[in-house]
Amino acid sequence: MTDSQATPEPVTGPGQPGPVPPGASGPRTVDTANQALHDGVNRCPKCGSTEIQLRVSAGKLVCLFCRYEWSEAKIEPVVAGESALQDLTGTVVASGATDISPEVSGVITLKCPGCGSEVVVNTAEAMSSRCHWCRHILTINEQVPNGAVPDAVLPFGITRDQALEHIRAFAGARRLFAHRTFRRDFAPENVVGVYLPYMVVDGNASADVQGFGEVETRRYTRKNGDQEETYYDADVYQVGRHVDFTVDDLTIESSAERANMNAFVNTNNVINTILPFDTKNAVRWNANYLVGFTSERRDQDVGQVEPVLEDQLLSIARSQVEGSVSRYNRGVRWEAEHLVVHGTRWVSMYLPVWLYSYYYEENGHAMVHYIAVNGRTGETMGSVPVSQGRLILAALVAGTVLEGVALWLLAVMS
Amino acid sequence: MTTLLIGLLIPLASGGDTPWILLLGPAGAVAVYWGLFQFYRNTGRSHSFERETLIESKPITGTDQKVDEVRGTQRTSIDGNNVHNHRQRVRRW
Repeated sequence: MTDSQATPEPVTGPGQPGPVPPGASGPRTVDTANQALHDGVNRCPKCGSTEIQLRVSAGKLVCLFCRYEWSEAKIEPVVAGESALQDLTGTVVASGATDISPEVSGVITLKCPGCGSEVVVNTAEAMSSRCHWCRHILTINEQVPNGAVPDAVLPFGITRDQALEHIRAFAGARRLFAHRTFRRDFAPENVVGVYLPYMVVDGNASADVQGFGEVETRRYTRKNGDQEETYYDADVYQVGRHVDFTVDDLTIESSAERANMNAFVNTNNVINTILPFDTKNAVRWNANYLVGFTSERRDQDVGQVEPVLEDQLLSIARSQVEGSVSRYNRGVRWEAEHLVVHGTRWVSMYLPVWLYSYYYEENGHAMVHYIAVNGRTGETMGSVPVSQGRLILAALVAGTVLEGVALWLLAVMS
Repeated sequence: MTTLLIGLLIPLASGGDTPWILLLGPAGAVAVYWGLFQFYRNTGRSHSFERETLIESKPITGTDQKVDEVRGTQRTSIDGNNVHNHRQRVRRW
């Protein structure tokens, strides 16, 4: 990466990158705070009610008293500005993606302006709470460095009923070899809408790759006893490729737990598989979008996600150059690669996922199996625990049939 | 379809002293197990960010220099071919 991680520059104004002092190498910060909102009571602009929530079918906030509907502005113009992606240099971090301070608690106490009582919100799980005494809803909207308030949120666009259909269809297609306890306990009504934390990254990079490629020049056969064996001649080339490229809205998990995709111990990879989201439609933060849903807090900083970004940029570079080496019809062995990141822009975002989870334990090995539905596109992926006995039986039957065919063929030939 | 399958299998059965075709049963069983397991558990699936992200690249540049020749090899592709395996990391410089 071009820039080292240092203390972010102070926020200077909405949507404007902070000034860069001469010689400064730290990231620039773009203020994305929604100045119209604050922690505590945030009222309907029409009637003053605090009963506000997302109307999924419209993708808008709706006041449950007067039915007024509205939405927050899109985040893209705030963070992207006028500059083209290929001109992006240095590290730009939106204010909701700045480093988390371990001293700042995730549990926030709000004073209810309606009755004066104190309301506690654990931002690890929710971003709003109802006052037990006067029933006002209090929301968390101010960006403090605890990873709880991101720059933007992409509201759910798939309703719960639609998500249920997707989950039923996914599991229904996998009934035959599903473990009997899964089939018995399958209750898709337990699906929950969760906003998961991601870093959405724009990048401007260059990459070089070097290796060797082979072009077939001749193919011929030789007799070896009764057998004919094929031989090849080839020319060997030293190959080098350079690519300059930009990526727009690369989406990376910013929760350490979700980023752990070891398929032996968890099924987080199925949540990763339902990416991408239409992040261009993400809007400025308003905690009312989360009312009725749960959320997970970001716990990874830009510096911790950077290695993942570099890995993905290298993979993208390798993918981009593949078409330019198609003449090497015997393949290419890439041996070295080099990446220069000219600029990155980081936005912290909550993205909507419908999650059905099933806790399953086998031989003392516990695992939570997810079926995840992309809350915008409906793309569904999941993990269903299998009945090993039936699976092995099916494999043995198939193997036996194939072996029978093989023996019959041998008998015919002899 | 059956005729085609038998047409493919007969050369296998007749190749040399070793009846390689006897491996058809065990190989088929493993393939059925693995295919069904993946259909249910999807352990190998992940986001295809190389294809599903908005990427703009300038024209690719580079060099190609012939350095050697291979004669009479039975390998069907270059040793260590990783041209399609974009996520396999190699030496960084």
